[in-house]
Amino acid sequence: MKLGLSRACLYSSCCASISSSSMPSLTAIKPKIPIFLRQPTYSVTSSDLQKWHGWAKNLVSSVGSSFVESDNGPDSTLLCRELNWLLEDSLENRSSSSCFSFPACKYDTVDEIENVMLRISLDDLYQLWKQRIEDRRPFQYIVGCEHWRDLVLSVQEGVLIPRPETELIVDLVSDAVSNNEELGQGLWADLGTGSGAVAIGISKILRFYGRVIATDLSPDAVSVAMFNVQRYGLQHVIEVRRGSWFEPLKDVEGQLVGIVSNPPYIPSDNISGLQAEVGRHEPRLALDGGASGMDYLLHLCNGAAAMLKPGGFFAFETNGEKQCKFLVDYMQNEIAGSFCNLNIVSDFAGIQRFVTGFRQ
Amino acid sequence: MSSLIFKSVSKYHSFAHLSGKDKVLASGNWTILDESESDWKSHAAAIAQSIQVIKRRLQWKKLLVRLDLLSVQLNKPDLWDDPVHAGNISREHGSLMAKMKKVKALEQELLENIDMIKLAREEDDIELESEMLKALLQMRINSNEKEQEALLSGEHDSCPCYIEVQAGAGGTESMDWAKMIMQMYKSWAQRHGYRVTVVDEMPGEIAGIKRATIKVDGEYAFGYAKAEVGVHRLVRISPFDSGKRRHTSFAAVAVTPILGDGFTHVQINESDLRIERFRAGGAGGQHVNTTESAVRIVHIPTGITATCQNERSQHMNKDSAMAVLQSRLDQCEMARQAQINAQHTQSLTDIGWGNQIRSYVLHPYRMVKDLRTNYEVTNPDSVLEGEIDGFILSYLSTLLDKGEDCP
Repeated sequence: MKLGLSRACLYSSCCASISSSSMPSLTAIKPKIPIFLRQPTYSVTSSDLQKWHGWAKNLVSSVGSSFVESDNGPDSTLLCRELNWLLEDSLENRSSSSCFSFPACKYDTVDEIENVMLRISLDDLYQLWKQRIEDRRPFQYIVGCEHWRDLVLSVQEGVLIPRPETELIVDLVSDAVSNNEELGQGLWADLGTGSGAVAIGISKILRFYGRVIATDLSPDAVSVAMFNVQRYGLQHVIEVRRGSWFEPLKDVEGQLVGIVSNPPYIPSDNISGLQAEVGRHEPRLALDGGASGMDYLLHLCNGAAAMLKPGGFFAFETNGEKQCKFLVDYMQNEIAGSFCNLNIVSDFAGIQRFVTGFRQ
Repeated sequence: MSSLIFKSVSKYHSFAHLSGKDKVLASGNWTILDESESDWKSHAAAIAQSIQVIKRRLQWKKLLVRLDLLSVQLNKPDLWDDPVHAGNISREHGSLMAKMKKVKALEQELLENIDMIKLAREEDDIELESEMLKALLQMRINSNEKEQEALLSGEHDSCPCYIEVQAGAGGTESMDWAKMIMQMYKSWAQRHGYRVTVVDEMPGEIAGIKRATIKVDGEYAFGYAKAEVGVHRLVRISPFDSGKRRHTSFAAVAVTPILGDGFTHVQINESDLRIERFRAGGAGGQHVNTTESAVRIVHIPTGITATCQNERSQHMNKDSAMAVLQSRLDQCEMARQAQINAQHTQSLTDIGWGNQIRSYVLHPYRMVKDLRTNYEVTNPDSVLEGEIDGFILSYLSTLLDKGEDCP
């Protein structure tokens, strides 16, 4: 059966509910619940929590700028902010976290002996912050979520933490859709969706009939993406499929109005020198783009030519200027006639980051 | 009638000097004790002061002149030859008359209460005295509310606002000072039940802040906070100076109203903006895992910038910075309009960083003094803990005096 644009069709093939016991066998892991979504069942005294906070801050000051110097990792200012966010996510009453962050403030709503409710145990708080500093475990894995655009996405080991740069892909799609209504009503694909960030981001700007298929090879990513899709109640708009790139999309060949992707693009040689948070903890599958970093980007270009309808839009994230220029050159010369209106877009740091264009 | 109240007020002057408390108001010279002190003279003086503020707000002298003029016109026999004109005159007369009567009624009530309480004391009628004391206290509370309404009647006074503090030259000592000032505002806002959000904070290398912006959400936040615009000066023995020398440092405060949907906003063209990632380094993208997603927006035509780094996503930082930018552009536009429309210039002249407005001396003596109103307090600690309402209210009431000169 070819997948049409009808709702019923997506319904039938759509993922099973994460919370139900009928989890499809292809999902390898049960998604972890981010701290901020857990029940506040742990009661601790304010002074014990203050003690932990003091200990954690000391650990931060011992870091100083050593992470920055070793691999451009976080400095103590940033770690302090993360510490406050961890507290914010763990406390039942978010606003009371400010009493810990501004100890000078005399009007604390929390006094010394009062108990506060936490979403994780105090032991876990010690454990997690130790992992953050000593193992350089990414903050987003610690709290189990990443704030991305206006979304809070669940993330965990095995799934790439969506980057701030990638937020712009949603804006690029939004611009394309606002210039051409048809794009907003068609079928889109987010390839290598990871946590589902881009798929969820763009599904919110599509019109009533717009649909998204999100694919990923990693069963962990598929399961986390499904969890996030469910959490935003978008299971009727986004279908998560497991498989490599275009493989799970054979039934919709030539029917897509848009393709977006943030594929692995780091050259293999660079992997060993990555910042500890990335190199030691994030999945290599989502980072390593082969010898030149271009393996998957080129694969996407070739595939997009076959998958997109005429007039269809694509936006790919790249490693920077070199890859952007290479891609544009490739599309203009090697597969000339497939794409038009090619454009290179910079991220907010001024690095040429995205290539966009349309199927001719 | 009004001269009567002035007389009774001037009587309190002498009481004030006798009791010699430290809370001397800059605008009058009488002492006003706290409401809880149950001191009838304090109640009476506070009410008299509130009435003065209300009168200033009404531009009392001009109001009386105008009323006289309208009365003369109303008495002209040929007035109703032009019914439209007559209607206007009559309506304006009625409205001004009502305002005047309300104030006079307040004054009358105050005088009667004073007479009664004096009588009660002369005749040792304790019951009557306590009854009159209660009446005065109630009157004090009511007139205080009316005074606040009169003080905060600016077009944008009811809006929430941003408060921005910037450290002056002088390194760590002035950055520490900027942080103290910011803490003062945070505490002040929390006392008032305002919601405080840190939008942007640039810490100093050793201590303090180079710059910070907070959003203060709640009724009349801008109306009060606008009194804080300007340069704040600190004199103390610096804890950062191993030689224990006395240092003078400065911090500048800017306050911007956040206009609601009911106001016209400056239209911002996307193409006029340059959006930059803050403190971005290296290859970015998949190479970097960071929770730092601060954004700076530059409005190219005006050079006005806004930064936000406190949100947890770049998108939210951008939204938040856009809101700050919008407010700054709106404020610039208001200032421009005000220059065209001279009538509003008075209340808006101090926009921007302004001049030195207040001095906080911790050494060799201890005092906080407002240079605009001469209002002063000898306990700097309480001020730095957020007790700044006295400064704010005395400044707002001097604004009314300035308004008196307006056409």
